[in-house]
Amino acid sequence: MAVGEHQPFVVTKLDEFLKWAQSSAIWPMTMGLACCAIEMMSIVSPRYDTARFGAEVFRSSPRQADLMIVSGRVSNKMAPVLRQLYEQMPDPKWVISMGACASSGGIFDNYAITPADTFLPIDIYVPGCPPSPDALIYALMQLRREIRAGSKAEVLAENA
Amino acid sequence: MPETQTPQGDGMRLADLVTELTRVAGEDFLEAAGRTEMDEIALRPEGLIALVTALREAGFNHLLDIGGTDHHPLTPRFEISYIFTAIPLGDQRDASRLHGLRRMRLRVFPDDRDPVVPTLSHLWPSADWPEREIFDLFGVRFDGHPDLRRLLNPDDWKGHPLRKDYPLRGYDRGFVPGGRVGPVPKVRES
Amino acid sequence: MTALGVFENNPDLTLAPGDDRDTLVLSMGPQHPSTHGVLRVLLKLDGEMVQSAQPEIGFLHTGIEKQAENLFWQQAITVVDRADYLAPLSNSLCYVLGVERMLGIDGQIPERARVLRVMFAELTRIASHLVWLGTHCLDLGAQSIFFYAFEMRERILSIMEFVTGARMHQSWFRIGGLGIDVPQGFLERMDDFIARFPQRLADMRAIVEKNVIIVDRLVGVGKISQQEAVDWGLTGPPLRATGIAYDVRRVHPYSGYETYDFDVPTQTGGDCYARFLVRLEEMHQSWRIIKQTRERFPGGPVVIDDRKIVPPPKTEIQHSMEALIHHFKLVSSGFNVPEGRIYQSVEGPRGEMGMYITSAGGNKPWRVRWRPSSFYHTQALKRLGPGNLIADLVAIIGSMDPVFGDVDR
Repeated sequence: MAVGEHQPFVVTKLDEFLKWAQSSAIWPMTMGLACCAIEMMSIVSPRYDTARFGAEVFRSSPRQADLMIVSGRVSNKMAPVLRQLYEQMPDPKWVISMGACASSGGIFDNYAITPADTFLPIDIYVPGCPPSPDALIYALMQLRREIRAGSKAEVLAENA
Repeated sequence: MPETQTPQGDGMRLADLVTELTRVAGEDFLEAAGRTEMDEIALRPEGLIALVTALREAGFNHLLDIGGTDHHPLTPRFEISYIFTAIPLGDQRDASRLHGLRRMRLRVFPDDRDPVVPTLSHLWPSADWPEREIFDLFGVRFDGHPDLRRLLNPDDWKGHPLRKDYPLRGYDRGFVPGGRVGPVPKVRES
Repeated sequence: MTALGVFENNPDLTLAPGDDRDTLVLSMGPQHPSTHGVLRVLLKLDGEMVQSAQPEIGFLHTGIEKQAENLFWQQAITVVDRADYLAPLSNSLCYVLGVERMLGIDGQIPERARVLRVMFAELTRIASHLVWLGTHCLDLGAQSIFFYAFEMRERILSIMEFVTGARMHQSWFRIGGLGIDVPQGFLERMDDFIARFPQRLADMRAIVEKNVIIVDRLVGVGKISQQEAVDWGLTGPPLRATGIAYDVRRVHPYSGYETYDFDVPTQTGGDCYARFLVRLEEMHQSWRIIKQTRERFPGGPVVIDDRKIVPPPKTEIQHSMEALIHHFKLVSSGFNVPEGRIYQSVEGPRGEMGMYITSAGGNKPWRVRWRPSSFYHTQALKRLGPGNLIADLVAIIGSMDPVFGDVDR
């Protein structure tokens, strides 16, 4: 159904409730690869507390996680592992590509590093080397807006 | 093992040590150089084991590092560098006595086309992984190594990345920075 | 499977006819909450007891050494920072000192730059040890220390950001001095940190040092003797925990360390608890050094006066043709370092961090061989793993404090 079209009342409200529930408690997976992982650990530290956003519970098992934050450079040996972990995560799932290395290869333009979007569908890209924890929290907020709105197009339409 | 060893060893001065080691290396010896930071001896791989054993007896018991360098297009092309330091054992809790410990560097130049160097992994357990890494990145084989396979790159990787004739960006990365060429490449089945 | 080769060729990891039903071959990692990064440890287990542990690395191989060969000497500081990512300034200190020695300018570095280098290297050491403390205790089950440690680390990182503009990977140490001088207001922030830190460290030590659970889990676990520590190439806290006070800051001093008054903490236990105590005390000694640098704090320039290596100040570039040309030359083609080789080492938080730099006389490094301390510590898991429970293995990995940017580069 297109954006804004008239929809049945009960299903809409149920939909909204589900999206609200999903976005309020996004549980990331501990996918700490490199330097960005330290900044990811900092978001649960007292200064940039993500517990207030419901995202402090870092699940180690992909079966229990909603969000994979690819934090760090993805080397050739690690890429199949990441793909397998992504496939092990149950739906609905989202991926944030944190940092310059995961988004585009970063400062390493060589044989060993591949960006995450060559094998994973990414929802949000976060620039920075490493992005400060504020940037990651902003990305998390953006993801929440996307989930609530249903799609990226609807977020843009909302903000227009 | 004596209770505490003096940090400077049995008094054999470094210059005498180098002379002694030159004699041990024999015809495999290439050159010795006294540099400001470390003495170094260049030699061929055949003399390595004898030299290293002599070094160990002279007190150099800690193998700090084994590194590789590719000097292509110069020959000899591969240089395997061994850095040793002499650490006294026993009760060495007084840091003021551990000053200026000796260090020594060996540079081994194997053959260009088929580089083989004897392994040190039976003498020092810490030599295992660096030798695998040099095999992975340079293609230099270590004769007698228990498990010589790639360490840092995937097992089915082709080529030896740190050689000078291996391009920085590798062959066929499957993406261009900032965009993708063609359909999403299949992830290598792991 | 990339690991299949390991299973087939390795008798330690295959199930033999004599093994009973409880024997299991398990891959711990590379995604695991307690492996401190991307480490895969292939375990052969008898129930919970580890019979054989084969660590497998390479999951973070970045080609830093190859990348550095394609960047100018001053540009390579940025990639070198990212190897041991918990102690970026230590990495760049090692590289910068090595290149300065090759250039022959190491005697000319101004005193202010040397003092600031020492100050920030010690701040980096404290920051790295705080991450170690937080994550190690998290692995052992003590979650609250993580918050204390990271709160203190945030103070350090905000000082770094205040001075250099970046929280991690500052690239502030440059060849010839520092990138930029410290701004106004720095001394107040530094004094605030120096005043706060001892109390917070004392609080943290009061919680963990004699804690019954920590002691139970760490004493006697992962014991290694002196001879073995030397044979396995250990340096840094694991070696100092066996009773040898080998600290590169004392043995081969650099950047003025011989003029500071600090102790090298050493224990004789050789087990995880000894390493734990060594690192805790190291934080205190680092704080002492920082206090001394603050008392010294000389004035003067922070870079040497050689325009062929260090770019001129921006204000001068706007007026002087010569300065503009120097700046252009440095940015477009760097500077040449005379042909030669050097092995430079510093005491990083993990141990002896060294670089064997080879120059072919050009404007790019010919080879930067990194001597990674964590590499040898991770290799030692082959020796330390067997005979322990998996939970002990987690404690051992934490006490070795590997950082996989350092291991894999």
